[in-house]
Amino acid sequence: MSQHPLNLRRRKKTFYEMLEPWLFLLPALLVFVVFLYYPFFKTIHLSTYLTDRNGLPKVFYGVKNYEDILVGKYSAAFWNSMWVSFRFVFFVAFGSLLVGLATSLMTTKKFPARAFASAIYAMPIAIASAAAAMSFKMIFHPSIGLVNRLAGTSTNWLNDPAWAFPIICLISIWLASGINFIFISAGLRNIPEELYESAAIDGAGYWRQQRHITLPALSPTLFFQIIINIISAFQSFTQVRLLTSGGPNETTNVIVYSIYLDAFRNFRFGSAAARSIVLFVIIMTITLLQFRAEKRSVHYQ
Amino acid sequence: MKKLVALLLVLMLGLSAFSAMAEGEKTKIVFWYSLGGTNSEVIANMVAEFNASQDRIEVDAQYQGEYDDAINKLKATSMGEALPFDIVQSYEIGSRFIIDSQKMMPLQTYIDKTGFDTSVIEPNLLAYYTIDGKINSMPFNCSTPLMYYNKTAFEEAGITEIPTTVDGILAIAEKLASFDAEGKLDRAGFLFSNYGWFFEQWVGKMGRQYVDNGNGREGYATKVMFGENGAALDLFNMWKKISESPYTSYIERGGTAQARAAFVAGKTAIFLASTANLAGVLANVGDSFEVGTAYFPYVNAEDKGGVSTGGGTLWMVNSGDEKKMDATWEFIQYMVSPEVQATWNAKTGYFPINMKAHDTETFKANIAKFPQFQTALDQLHDSSPEYVGSLLSVFPEVRQYVEDVTEEVVLKGLSPEDAVTKLVNLANDAIEMYNLTNY
Repeated sequence: MSQHPLNLRRRKKTFYEMLEPWLFLLPALLVFVVFLYYPFFKTIHLSTYLTDRNGLPKVFYGVKNYEDILVGKYSAAFWNSMWVSFRFVFFVAFGSLLVGLATSLMTTKKFPARAFASAIYAMPIAIASAAAAMSFKMIFHPSIGLVNRLAGTSTNWLNDPAWAFPIICLISIWLASGINFIFISAGLRNIPEELYESAAIDGAGYWRQQRHITLPALSPTLFFQIIINIISAFQSFTQVRLLTSGGPNETTNVIVYSIYLDAFRNFRFGSAAARSIVLFVIIMTITLLQFRAEKRSVHYQ
Repeated sequence: MKKLVALLLVLMLGLSAFSAMAEGEKTKIVFWYSLGGTNSEVIANMVAEFNASQDRIEVDAQYQGEYDDAINKLKATSMGEALPFDIVQSYEIGSRFIIDSQKMMPLQTYIDKTGFDTSVIEPNLLAYYTIDGKINSMPFNCSTPLMYYNKTAFEEAGITEIPTTVDGILAIAEKLASFDAEGKLDRAGFLFSNYGWFFEQWVGKMGRQYVDNGNGREGYATKVMFGENGAALDLFNMWKKISESPYTSYIERGGTAQARAAFVAGKTAIFLASTANLAGVLANVGDSFEVGTAYFPYVNAEDKGGVSTGGGTLWMVNSGDEKKMDATWEFIQYMVSPEVQATWNAKTGYFPINMKAHDTETFKANIAKFPQFQTALDQLHDSSPEYVGSLLSVFPEVRQYVEDVTEEVVLKGLSPEDAVTKLVNLANDAIEMYNLTNY
């Protein structure tokens, strides 16, 4: 048996050498296993059971939990939550991106109150959503709220099926606009000034410059930010919990809130686990689609 | 001899040092409670006074959010082995669930052991919390729902008779309501919050049952009764009538905070809420108008039932640590002692669960100053143990369904008949699922 010449110098690895790479990986692996993989598989496991009052799997239920939420007895409420979530995510992810983009474009040029304006635009990042929600609850109060006072209306904003959803969206957009402002501002500052100068010499106006320089150069930031927005919008919970509890008429019952209700109010962990697996599949699909879209429309320098 | 004396001295010194050490070591117990706002401060003060009153026990009071939040934390922690607290306050509808979780020590054991006199406790409360033949938890903050009204507005409208039924309220709403220049409702005649607790109380006021098996007291509830006994239909018909009235509007669900804010601001002449709001409402209203209190209204004129208690009780964790459990029992006894309950009543509006509190100066002074408190007491005494209210493990969930469906009746125009079918199905499914996995 002749050995290949290249293998001549290979000697047997010592035990330590074999172990070494795993040692480097170990801390990260531990974190992943404990906080991601274990809960993930546990969730799949739970989703095939009915749980008792202590949240322990009790009765094997197979795919019935999925059947109940997708086509069975909980399906109407589940698909309503899905529909609410998708609209919510769409409005909030793009709304906060637009607000962030607009505010950061407004603060690129130097003007007297620039630092002050920047602070105002970035402020929502420092506000706890719970505190904001409580303030808005009073602002939108039907009889003593500021909005009704100023507008001279007597609308019960948060308990009116037509208004509750847009208001929750608006508050969420405002809350998320701060982080968008910060990231997009940073992205804008990385665009070389020369690009704008040469464009200006070529006779390009403000909007043309934004369209052909800012947007392409900013596209990696925008792409990153939209993914972050979508994921965090899917996870929005506090505003819904405090302002509307998913009502009125389930118009603000986003999927995460419905999972919370199922798990911690109804204590049906099995059904809640099934819901979160469905949510996981959906978010993963969206993210994969986004990465596919990225190849076509995002420009890296 | 000298040696012996010296030895004795040393021994005594050592002993006293030892006992001093033992004395210095306080028994620490953790108390989870669920009352926010001003009521939270009152609890903190009571705990501080207890800690200052003796040097053996140190109570660490921790606020855990609203009842729902606290019971969720309790559920989440009861999955593990040891509970991180020794005493917990929970609401009345959590009773069945907590007993089922088997983590608590039934207080009956301690009542028997120390000869605690239960005859001082309000009999209607005792009846509610006597479950499976024993007292499991100590009533602490107890309330009934009340009707609050703006006396000044009533006088201005020339109304002398205080309505006792919902229809009666609807009839006078027109006189009480006022509209602005554009024809919009400025002051509502009344505002009813869509609150599941009221639904339960109304079922009791009709003298009907909420769930089967003797309202869940003779055995585990297996289905709701409010569908077949017509209580839900009466209630949804009532809500339909309310939704058609131009003198009121839909204010909120799941609580009474918004209605209370509107009442205080003079934007509604009547609202319904727990007696626990009384002290706060009186303080908020101040001199702007006179506040009246009346019994929670009947739905139908011929109803003969009564109100049941709401509020919370104190539960002792069965930690197995005798010292901690004895300390917990001592603290519980303190919390329901006459003087403490009288102060509690004066500062919150929860009524004193200990009838001996009625003899204290604190109580007498308060009731003379705010006769409105008397209404809550009278209402409780006018009710009877047969309307004690039901026990149901999935009560919090069913309460939410009640609110969901009521909302659909009011906002979406769901017919009362369909609403009953929907609610009964949702509730029975929840009960069935729970019983399937837990009993």
